[in-house]
Amino acid sequence: MAKIDLSVTPVRDANELLRQFGAEGVDVEVLNPDARHHIGVGLTHPINVHIRGSAGYFCAGLTDGPRFTVDNNVGWGVGDNMLNGSIVVNGNASAIPGVAIRGAEIVVKGNIGSRAGQVMKAGTLLACGNANFMAGYMMYGGRLIILGHSGEKVGQDMTGGNIYVAGKLGEMGTDAMLTDLPANERDEILAFLDKYQIPFKGSFQKIVNAGKKLRYPKTEPRRRAIPFFESFADNAYWNAKVQEDIHVKSQIGRYRIRGYGAARPLPHISDIAFKKDILPAIGTDPDVLSKVKMDTEIGGRSGANPLKLSMPVMIAPMSYGALSKSAKLALAIASRLSGISENTGEGGMSKEQRQEAGQLIYQCLAGRLGWNIHDMQQANGLEIYISQGAKPGLGGQLMAKKVTPEIARIRGIPAGIDLRSPSRHPDVLGADDLVIKVEEFREATGYRIPVSVKLGAGRVRDDIKIAWKDGFDFVELDGMQGSTGAAGNEVLEFVGIPTLSAIQEARDALSEVGGLDMPIVLMGGIKDGIDAVKALALGAHAVALGTSAIIAGGCIACLQCHVGTCVTGIATQDPEHEKRYNVPVEAQNIHRFLESVRWQIAAITHALGYSDPHQVSRDDLVALTPEAAAITRLPYHPEYRERAQDLRKAS
Amino acid sequence: MSTNVITVYDINRVRPPKAPARDDTQDPHFVPAPCQVACPVGTDAPSYIGYIWEEKFAEAFEAITATNPFSSICGRVCDAPCEPACRRTESDGPLAIRNLKRYVMDKLGKDHHLPPVQVTRKESVGIVGAGPAGLTAAQDLAEAGFEVHVYEMMDKPGGMMVWGIPGFRLPPGIIEEDMQRLFNHCPGIKLHCGVALGKDVTLEDLKKKHAAVLLTIGSWWGKPMGIKGENNPNVVDGVGFLRRINAGERPTLPEKVIVVGGGDVAMDACRAALRMPGVKEVKVVYRRGPKEIPARKEELHQAIAENIEVIYNTQPVEVVSAGGKMALRCVETRLGAPGPDGRRKPETVPGSERDLDCGMVIMAVGQKAESAELDGKGLMAGDRIKTDWNSMRTDDPQVFAAGDGAFGGSTIVMAMMHGHRAAHYVKSHLDGISDPLPYRTPYRTRRVPAAQDINWEIFPRRDQTFNGLGANPSAFPEIETTYDDKTAKEEAARCYRCDAETGSSDYSVKTREDIFVMARTPTTDVRTQSAILQKRLAPKANPFPENHHASFDDLVLLPANLSRLVIDPYRDACNTATDIAGKVKLDIPVIAAGVDALPTEARAGLGMALANVGSAYLTREPLPHSKAPWLQLLEPGGIPNAGAVGQVYVLPRGFQSFKIEKQPGMITGLVASSADLEKAIPFALEHGLEMMVLDGSSGIGGQWPELGGYPDFSVLRDAMRIVRRMNREEDIDFVYFGGVRSGTDVAKLIGLGAKAGAIGMTMAMALGGEMGPGGLSFFGDRSPEERSDAAASIISAMSAEASIMARCTGKTDVRNIEPEDLRAITLASSRAFGVPLAGAKRGSVIEAAE
Repeated sequence: MAKIDLSVTPVRDANELLRQFGAEGVDVEVLNPDARHHIGVGLTHPINVHIRGSAGYFCAGLTDGPRFTVDNNVGWGVGDNMLNGSIVVNGNASAIPGVAIRGAEIVVKGNIGSRAGQVMKAGTLLACGNANFMAGYMMYGGRLIILGHSGEKVGQDMTGGNIYVAGKLGEMGTDAMLTDLPANERDEILAFLDKYQIPFKGSFQKIVNAGKKLRYPKTEPRRRAIPFFESFADNAYWNAKVQEDIHVKSQIGRYRIRGYGAARPLPHISDIAFKKDILPAIGTDPDVLSKVKMDTEIGGRSGANPLKLSMPVMIAPMSYGALSKSAKLALAIASRLSGISENTGEGGMSKEQRQEAGQLIYQCLAGRLGWNIHDMQQANGLEIYISQGAKPGLGGQLMAKKVTPEIARIRGIPAGIDLRSPSRHPDVLGADDLVIKVEEFREATGYRIPVSVKLGAGRVRDDIKIAWKDGFDFVELDGMQGSTGAAGNEVLEFVGIPTLSAIQEARDALSEVGGLDMPIVLMGGIKDGIDAVKALALGAHAVALGTSAIIAGGCIACLQCHVGTCVTGIATQDPEHEKRYNVPVEAQNIHRFLESVRWQIAAITHALGYSDPHQVSRDDLVALTPEAAAITRLPYHPEYRERAQDLRKAS
Repeated sequence: MSTNVITVYDINRVRPPKAPARDDTQDPHFVPAPCQVACPVGTDAPSYIGYIWEEKFAEAFEAITATNPFSSICGRVCDAPCEPACRRTESDGPLAIRNLKRYVMDKLGKDHHLPPVQVTRKESVGIVGAGPAGLTAAQDLAEAGFEVHVYEMMDKPGGMMVWGIPGFRLPPGIIEEDMQRLFNHCPGIKLHCGVALGKDVTLEDLKKKHAAVLLTIGSWWGKPMGIKGENNPNVVDGVGFLRRINAGERPTLPEKVIVVGGGDVAMDACRAALRMPGVKEVKVVYRRGPKEIPARKEELHQAIAENIEVIYNTQPVEVVSAGGKMALRCVETRLGAPGPDGRRKPETVPGSERDLDCGMVIMAVGQKAESAELDGKGLMAGDRIKTDWNSMRTDDPQVFAAGDGAFGGSTIVMAMMHGHRAAHYVKSHLDGISDPLPYRTPYRTRRVPAAQDINWEIFPRRDQTFNGLGANPSAFPEIETTYDDKTAKEEAARCYRCDAETGSSDYSVKTREDIFVMARTPTTDVRTQSAILQKRLAPKANPFPENHHASFDDLVLLPANLSRLVIDPYRDACNTATDIAGKVKLDIPVIAAGVDALPTEARAGLGMALANVGSAYLTREPLPHSKAPWLQLLEPGGIPNAGAVGQVYVLPRGFQSFKIEKQPGMITGLVASSADLEKAIPFALEHGLEMMVLDGSSGIGGQWPELGGYPDFSVLRDAMRIVRRMNREEDIDFVYFGGVRSGTDVAKLIGLGAKAGAIGMTMAMALGGEMGPGGLSFFGDRSPEERSDAAASIISAMSAEASIMARCTGKTDVRNIEPEDLRAITLASSRAFGVPLAGAKRGSVIEAAE
């Protein structure tokens, strides 16, 4: 048995050593742990690790296979997201023990803190003592055994899985209920207790999901979208869209749901123009691509291997689930062909997607859907999702029609529910927690992979300072024009701030704190190379394209993504519909679109007299509308609009 | 009709107003759909498909026939270039656009006529040939007021439509239908049948008689194969053969017939031959492969379905006949280098000769035009009339030409396009314009809403029922049966409606189509890339021009992210209960007001609902049998009602002090609009009033006051400024009325300082009110329970929306939404609400101009 002494070896080195011992199959004893955070994080070999003392946050987190024993207590999130293996804690566990586990066995001999087993998908969490409030909060599967008292709100908003309580039952959580305990289940519990040599005499009460909140009670009548100009542009107060909304809501009694992002007009990048008249120069040089340097590295700020993009463009995060596997594949292929990065979005990483994408960012959401150590380790970037521009403050939403058995499997949830993902991370309640979370990710991946944060634009000025302070390698900043597969219409239209406002606030805030070294990837309604260059000039380091890439790949913008029977096979999990999507053809279409974006970036940069789009600055821009001028403080020159029109007439 | 229209009592009643018909050449949103662009005559297919779904067949008929005088014919035999262009082709097959046209024409074609147009011009035009090109031009010119004389060598008009297409595909009655419509519509067209150019009339005669002459003589004659032995009497040309058949002959033919060629004539010839007495076997010999064959796929498949064998990659080299036996000697081919037309030329495979036994060979390898008369005048170039595409003129300045005779064999719809084109130049010539604007196919839209069928994404493409040869083949029964109503409607529902504007201003049709083009253009195509980029560089119109009103729509809420603890809007509880002056308890911060004009039937439903959802109402009269708290709206001097929970005074002519008597145990309030505030608020505070209704409408006491104009939101801003200035913010509760439509609006008005919002129009619409040109209408098609459910539902929905908004901002109580949670996205709204512009310098509120 090997020994690692944490009084002399930093945790970071210790975790590297643990992985080496793991690879060699050598058991390890950890001395003087002194409640340090992240002990054993990222270990994926079935060795025994004995921690002689107490461990801090995320002990044995993001692991698969090892068997941990902790002599004393553990901090927050013991066994976070553990796939297989076991942890025996001889003392007490702090909050969220067994958070997001996917098969592990965690035994706590003492008491456990609040929200035990939050968003767990499979496996067993056993507390020999009492649990604190909200045990089994939002659990999707597995079992939670409490030999002592349950605490209040047990089973709060659980979706699946079982909770067994031997002690006193506290107040039942929302949408949880008591049910009969079958004899075989009782036998299985007793067998588990035997396995860990825990003496027990007594009986259990079983708590399961009551199923009242898993599906919307009334189906929303589906309507094809009213043309936007009838809804917004004619400045009529009681317009057709308002009337339709009222009529529909008066039938279903709740907010309406649809796909896409804010549909009404907003101040946008298109309200900005280039100061120099570049129209005459466009197309005069047949070979602009070779004259403009576009290679963009991003994510190396703290020593990780940066993403190497052939241009300052990424594919925006979109999930397998919201999109079909075929659509995700086409995006992955196109991103590889164009030398840029793809992003998994919320739904976990599929094998095919990993194979096809050259560089892949792996997104971690509050529900930890599809999240696991192996995919983390084969990602090129890790991203903590805080929110998205389309629906900041709201979790992901995937209607039952799209929660197929395969989607459910990859996400680790029951099939056929209206999935409304949690919007608050179990282990991130504030900026300080976030620092520890980021560090856990870095520990799990040996500090090799950049860690970014995805932020829906709201209080950008405050939020981005925290992101900077927490040491993220870059920020994906998403304005309210960003799209989604399903969200409440009101949130889509009225929560968050426009992309243009977001980049301005971000830049202002980072300037204030000297944080401009943290790159911003701007997204939310970026549609072409023009938007990209303007975004760069306004302070972004790169942009991400989502909706526009989907449209390039065949989307017709009908806004019915949430329904699940997408006519083009993009936003569906129905095989009959998905087969309509021709992956090789659409991959080429998306690739050509990305190349056209590249060409546009090159042509504009060249026409402005630069050799790298990052050289374009605010000095090259003017505002065409009073709103854009007030937001960006760029000079207000509405006459530039006429200039363009005169030119058009002349040509 | 029973398709999957949303038929539950709910949504069928939704009749949002339609946009008025507009000429889209002026409409910046209009981008023609791919099918319309693919149609040579620019048929507005998306509109007629939309009309079919709406069962507006007369409108569909108008859209179909607007640019196509042979719509009935085209409904059956157009080669439909629109269909391969259909965007749905790539998913589960294109819309059956042609079948849908046929459906409409079968329904209305016979007796639906276009109004006659009169001759108004003194010049006349002579047209030679009454085929699709000639007659289309004739119609355009007649519509422009010219008298048109059409000279046709056969005994009836129609050209190749009559003589080239057999009756099993195009029954004579269908042709007759189009002709009747055309000639009734254009009495100025004089048709002269049995008059052949060069025989019965000369070009010189025509030039003398008419101000202009248009030659649309067709390519009437089959080309020979140019091989040995083709003079055999059993070798005939395809168009000649079809002409005989279409004249009514049904000759007994040999058992085995071979047709050479792969075009539409070959298809018609082989299928016609198969239907002749004596024929047992028909084969088609084509020199290229199945990928290259130009015949329309549907016809090819039908020919094969009728047991006709297609022999690909085979070229005839000789017609062999010996001892009364006949055979077509062929060689195999393979594809060689591309020829001048871009198609790969077949080359023969040495040593692959073989003989195909047959009793007859039909050559369908191309057609040509012939005219000794025109040849003599030097107007021919080989087998075509020498014609300049850019002016449609021949070498004779008075003589124009169009159609197959001028540009080679093509389709009916191309011939019609030629006709339109030629008519444009002939008309310009007659108008004395020497350098006319170039012709362009018009793309018009009729702005039909998209089909509201929930299964539009699911319905598969359905073909018409295929009947094959039928019991008596030589009688030429029709090969297909027109859609029934249900099939037609479902097929129409499938349309993507590429023409219709999207629901997203950010991803408009224009943007979407630009992205489509980018996705289909390689970067090596610098010209196209430049063109797209230049187009995309053109600035968009200002979305918020000078006249843009302030609106709740232009306020956004700021979400909690990192700097505030995120609340889970799907799960974490959020309080929506509130009260007015501590006395009127509300489960939700919404009351009803401004609904005194509700009809009796709706009032009953409203009363039930309000009690059930824990809301209250502010009206002049109480609602029948309602347990919900009633705030009585009355004018000074009105009599307080003991059944009310309070009195709210309204002064229709603006605020002035009045004597106020507070009722014991009741609350007393006052309505104030913007102009009243400076006096009304001090008055209210002085007299200890507990509530004030901030009226952003045209006057809460009126009939549907929210229809009286855009809401005046500044009343909220100013009221808050006044009470803050007086340091009395906590001493009076504000209820805002005017343009509240959703829970989001409620969340915003609470953020702006009100305690609750009052809904009038929104409630009226939930109760079944429908907006129309004359205001709000109600119908007796709902039970009181339905109305009550709907009223309760709208309040529940608004409550859910308000609480989602609160939670998104990180609040667990709707009452806690603050001004700090709001930002404006327009300057107008920033001013009117006193809320900072999102992204602008910290703390910079745009002040009102005054």
